[in-house]
Amino acid sequence: MSDEMLIRFSLRQRLEHLATMIVFTGLCLTGLPQKFYEHRWAQLLLHLMGGIDRARWVHRFFGICLLVATILHFSGALASMLSKRIGLTIVPNRKDFTDAIGTLRYYLGMAERPPRFDRFDYRQKFEYWGLVAGNVIMLLTGLTLYFPTLVTRFLPGQLIPAAKVAHSNEGLMAFLVIIIWHIFNAHLNPDIFPMDRTIFTGRISRHRMEHEHPLELARIEGRHLPEEPASEPVEPPPGLPPPGQG
Amino acid sequence: MLRFAGAHLLAIIAFAGPLARAEPPPAPAAKPDQAKPDQSTSKSDKKQVDCLACHGSDPTATMDLPGGEKLSVYVDPDALAKSVHGSWSCTDCHTDKGDYPHDSAPFTDRRSVTLRAAKLCRNCHSTDDVKTQNGVHEQALARGNLAAAGCVDCHGAHEVRPPREPRTRISDTCARCHQEVYATFAASVHGKALLNGNPDVPVCTDCHKAHEIPKAKGGTFALGAPEYCGKCHTDPARVAKYGLSTAVVRTYLADFHGMSATLQRGEAGAQPSDFTASCTDCHGVHDIRRTHDPDSRVFQANLVKTCRRCHPGASDDFPSAWLSHYEPSWKRASMVYMAQLFYRYMIPFMLAALVLQIGLHIYRVVVKR
Repeated sequence: MSDEMLIRFSLRQRLEHLATMIVFTGLCLTGLPQKFYEHRWAQLLLHLMGGIDRARWVHRFFGICLLVATILHFSGALASMLSKRIGLTIVPNRKDFTDAIGTLRYYLGMAERPPRFDRFDYRQKFEYWGLVAGNVIMLLTGLTLYFPTLVTRFLPGQLIPAAKVAHSNEGLMAFLVIIIWHIFNAHLNPDIFPMDRTIFTGRISRHRMEHEHPLELARIEGRHLPEEPASEPVEPPPGLPPPGQG
Repeated sequence: MLRFAGAHLLAIIAFAGPLARAEPPPAPAAKPDQAKPDQSTSKSDKKQVDCLACHGSDPTATMDLPGGEKLSVYVDPDALAKSVHGSWSCTDCHTDKGDYPHDSAPFTDRRSVTLRAAKLCRNCHSTDDVKTQNGVHEQALARGNLAAAGCVDCHGAHEVRPPREPRTRISDTCARCHQEVYATFAASVHGKALLNGNPDVPVCTDCHKAHEIPKAKGGTFALGAPEYCGKCHTDPARVAKYGLSTAVVRTYLADFHGMSATLQRGEAGAQPSDFTASCTDCHGVHDIRRTHDPDSRVFQANLVKTCRRCHPGASDDFPSAWLSHYEPSWKRASMVYMAQLFYRYMIPFMLAALVLQIGLHIYRVVVKR
């Protein structure tokens, strides 16, 4: 497939993904065994890390890395937004809602083609904002658990065990979402199997852009795509079965 | 007085010989622990009679030890008869005393005589002997602290009786050396009940064990508290009648401290200074009181002070970070309960939705292309 390559991610974005990957892995490795400390595998992992107390310090170290990375990400995004260098392509809008329904219709065979996406499809937006929300929860509850005496000087003490419940469950959920959702979408998805390299190389083929982000491609190239027929339900001619079911 | 009880042993060592019979003493039962030598009661009676002719007649009889002390060689025949070994022959224990004059072992003082008794006891009580080797008393002796207890210091020599009859005998026995701890314990909720004859409360050995006594200081023993406190406090038959919850250990283990304690226990290199709070760190050790006793460390008004022992700077509301062994509910710790509830449904819902979408995707691409 000799194909033209387009730039999709900047160096900064690629580095941010790399940092998130490393920090997330570190936090899961040091955090999940704490949640499941009664299990043999968790105790073995903690033992290999030099005991619970060292594992906690490593966990806090990665936590602080995450805090720094999050602050850098948002300040960078804010600066870019203010200087109008980027559009609000990651912000969810009404189309994401209809896209989700359109995709579902496509999966069920009620539509010929999936909806055409812009720079980020609704799944990518969901994952991004899920990560953002999760990050905020994890950082707030994590800091609460890190400095319980300080926090309870201003806030009710019951916040500490509540933060513990939220931190451990939100962490588990993030882990499971990444394992199931991200691994599927970035690796096992038949379209990109075995691996979507774009986030590491920053480049994507024109072919894939046409396929996965046609609206963005058109925008970049100053074209105007005709109204999308496939995202609308295809009305079968009277007397014939609906398309896709034959 | 007990510390010198072992002297009686030497008394027999020293004087029973000539009166013993010429036939060899029965070999001590080697294999099963505490097995009784195979001999008739009449025989051992006869042997005791022989020995007691000298050792059981004059309560003032003594011998001079090389160190200058005098050693009583008297054995109270009544006490011996009432003891658990009352039907035994003297030479069952004093295996080396068959002849007269006795082959006196080279003891310089009475304490050496007392401590030497372990060698006689272990002939039958080998299991307890092995446990004792791992206990603090035996280890202190090995380090040269001769004041540490040996077998007869606790059990007595010729007057050995079942240690738990009555139960208070155990704490009384420990109190002979550990008076200060005993006084504290006697004023605690457990100690007071014990002295009132309550069978539900622990005596010293229930937590500390009898023979394999672990080192109490240094934190490792305290980390094991959930286990030995939990023996009773998770048993509904024992604590329900006092209105006590059996969820105390479960709720502790579900919290930060319980998790830390569980993990730190398994770590060889863990520093005691890092050890987390265990039952005894909040409730006290020998001075445990009812939680609604104003002198209790966990009495509501005293909690902050207790927390501050590990969490300096803890605010007045800091103790409410701990749910006092209650499981979260709408009524108690509603914030925690809501967080639990939210994730209990959120996690399965989220995963089911994602898996469903993945399943549909694969279905469309693979099956229904």
